Amino acid sequence: MSALLEMRGIVRCYGAVRANDGVDLEVRSGEILGLLGENGSGKSTLMKVLFGMTPADEGAIIFRGRALAGHKPADAMEAGIAMIHQHFMLIEAMTIVENVMLGWRDAGRILKRGETAARVSEASRRLGLDLDPQALVADLPLGRRQRVEILKAVLRDAELMILDEPTSNLAPTEVADLLSILRRLRAEGKGIIFISHKLPEVLDVCDRVVVLRKGRVSGRAPIRDVSKAELAEMMVGRDVTAPHERRALASGAVRLDVAGLVGPRVGPVSFAVRGGEILGVAGVDGNGQMELAESLAGLRRPSAGSILLDGQDILSASVAARVAAGMAYMPADRSSTALAPGLTIADNLMLRDSRRPPYARGVFLAPGSLQQRARQLMREYDIRAPGPQTRAARLSGGNQQKIVVARELARKPAALIAHQPAWGLDPGATRFVLEQVLALRAAGAAIVYFSSELEEVLDISDRIAVMANGGFAGVTTRAEADIKMIGLWMSGRAA
Amino acid sequence: MSEAVPPSPGSPASVRLTAPFRLRDGEAMAARIVVAAGLSLLSAALLVALSGHSPLAAFGAMALGSVGSPHQIGVGLNRATPYLLAGSGVAICFRAGVINIGAEGQIALGGTGAAAVALAWPSGASALSALAALIGAAAFGALWAGLATAIHLGRWVHEVLATLLLNFVALLLVQQALAGPLGQFGAGFLQSPQLPAESWLWKAPEFNAHVGFLIALAAAAALSVVLWRTPFGFAVRVAGQSRPAAAYAGFSMPAMTWGVMLLAGALAGLAGGVEVLGVHHRLIEGFSLGFGFKAVTVALLGALEPLAVVPASLFVGLLEAGSLSMQRQIGVPSAVVVIEGVTMLFVLAATARRT
Repeated sequence: MSALLEMRGIVRCYGAVRANDGVDLEVRSGEILGLLGENGSGKSTLMKVLFGMTPADEGAIIFRGRALAGHKPADAMEAGIAMIHQHFMLIEAMTIVENVMLGWRDAGRILKRGETAARVSEASRRLGLDLDPQALVADLPLGRRQRVEILKAVLRDAELMILDEPTSNLAPTEVADLLSILRRLRAEGKGIIFISHKLPEVLDVCDRVVVLRKGRVSGRAPIRDVSKAELAEMMVGRDVTAPHERRALASGAVRLDVAGLVGPRVGPVSFAVRGGEILGVAGVDGNGQMELAESLAGLRRPSAGSILLDGQDILSASVAARVAAGMAYMPADRSSTALAPGLTIADNLMLRDSRRPPYARGVFLAPGSLQQRARQLMREYDIRAPGPQTRAARLSGGNQQKIVVARELARKPAALIAHQPAWGLDPGATRFVLEQVLALRAAGAAIVYFSSELEEVLDISDRIAVMANGGFAGVTTRAEADIKMIGLWMSGRAA
Repeated sequence: MSEAVPPSPGSPASVRLTAPFRLRDGEAMAARIVVAAGLSLLSAALLVALSGHSPLAAFGAMALGSVGSPHQIGVGLNRATPYLLAGSGVAICFRAGVINIGAEGQIALGGTGAAAVALAWPSGASALSALAALIGAAAFGALWAGLATAIHLGRWVHEVLATLLLNFVALLLVQQALAGPLGQFGAGFLQSPQLPAESWLWKAPEFNAHVGFLIALAAAAALSVVLWRTPFGFAVRVAGQSRPAAAYAGFSMPAMTWGVMLLAGALAGLAGGVEVLGVHHRLIEGFSLGFGFKAVTVALLGALEPLAVVPASLFVGLLEAGSLSMQRQIGVPSAVVVIEGVTMLFVLAATARRT
């Protein structure tokens, strides 16, 4: 049987970096291919080349027997390739059927609403998607929205579907549903590329795997021939990341004490964090983590409750007053909240401290000490850039996050709220961020660490709380953490 | 790293209306401006030829009219002054992401304030009357900007609407004042009596330029210091980049909006006052028609950078003086409007940047 897709010898360079360095990849119809690799291994680049978002420097792509070269995403879609993004490209204010009709020629110049709705219902039944064509996208949970994207691809007669980290925003039950939908698509003869670094899912659903490391294929095998350990080794090579150094700490006094906190879409939440303790908050995105983190940091006003930081109630304190009281915050949105992207590194390093020395002298800023301080922090926190006057937007995600770490931790805070601090970072930068958080723990700060990556939370936390529907579904200690129980909590079942 | 930086979760997809017209790398920018100026001259020449006049003669008249004599340079400086004052105020508002389109009304009321103070000032203290009139101008402008701000922040009316609509109210108020308490009876059209000579701005004898341009220069320099060398200016720059980042930094958006609006209002008011006290020596209906909107163009032309608004306003001021004299001497109708429009479009197209 001939391959649905053949990519041969793909090379794509960004400057001196060979993001793809001679990659071969094949997908057959009726097959789920797992594409594995760490952040920065070249998976996304390879898929961008395939989908026409970036050109290949060398190599050939043959799809359904025809060569694809110099194509754009529109050409790829026309040819029958669909990309289901991590962040869905849906209009929330429209219904499912309206979203399906968007930019779709078959919807007609005068929109065939009825006919399209019927086709949506039919495909939804056939694939077990359980979608009501007239439902508003804004009302759908993330798992359902993903199905809308899949439905769009199916109705547009896509033969090959690329799913980029499709399970990262899903609860465990939603993951199981997605995998069975993918199996149905496979039975219909579609080819699927399943990108993930979650090995159990890959082992569960894929037929074959291709593993990338540093832009090259480091392994390929039918799934029945490999074990989880072998896959892990292919992904990270022999340099298996060492476990983080964690010293057991004598339990300190409570530094952050939250009681009965209630606000829009959050609460009531109560918890206490001691000095030298990390409270990890796990949970599926969108269950109130953002609201809780912002309430603690002062960006949202809770309607009731108390937040004691070293005994002082900061519930109604402004953001600036909280910073002064020792509350550090690393927001999840790095690109436009944690940083002002168009400003320089130096400006971003003083973002939350511009009214205090050494940055301000009286009513004026002190540009000299700003530059000096920036150079010092860039050295200490290994921020790699031409100089303090480089715009933050021009840095990699890792270096951007180092600016945030440097600014928030150099203040020697009493408490840190970290929201998805390792999101989207490569292994080196991830390790750096986690080490800095652990160093702050060792220095005796109270830390609340939000992440939707369960393994990351289990790895770093002293205690683990799970958020569901705006509240804590359960709290457990590091020693007693039980994955099954945490999974149940994540799906919204209270302890 | 090899993979492009993914958008962080929750990053706003909406495009900021203002995300500003930053300066590009110096030389490329200079080259673009030269090309744009050349192209605009060419199109203007074409239009002049179409109207049946010699482009050479027309441009000769224009050159003489803008920089041909100290007197003409003075005319250009006087014209540039209100644009510089109001334009640098608009620039700092836009920097903060506050789209203030209200300079037009603030200028008109500023002129009214200056005239009212100058007319009412006791003759015993005449040494201070110009200063008092300028303060009155700034106060009236700030008051009008403050009204727009109160409506914007208090009732959530978009600042574009609040500032824009108050322009029309302001113009009617000036008319009303001229038809009543400030008007000169029997003048035939709406104007105030001539202001006492002590309140007139000092003029450089040869140049015919009043001292307003120096005031404007000082204001632009001060504004530049505020923007680049104070925590308030830093907050403005952050807010213009990203509202969420400003909130995260602990900057209060209402306080900042008040700050930039009152500053801009006072400067626009001053622009009106300088025009009345320096050029007309009385309040005339429509004395500032279009100044406020042109100030927006000048601010953008100056890349929202107070110091860069200086050359931008000079450019527009001299261009106007020159094309006015071309219009008079060669008799090309509406030359001012056309040449100014064409040139600004070209230069803005060359300097604006995609965000």
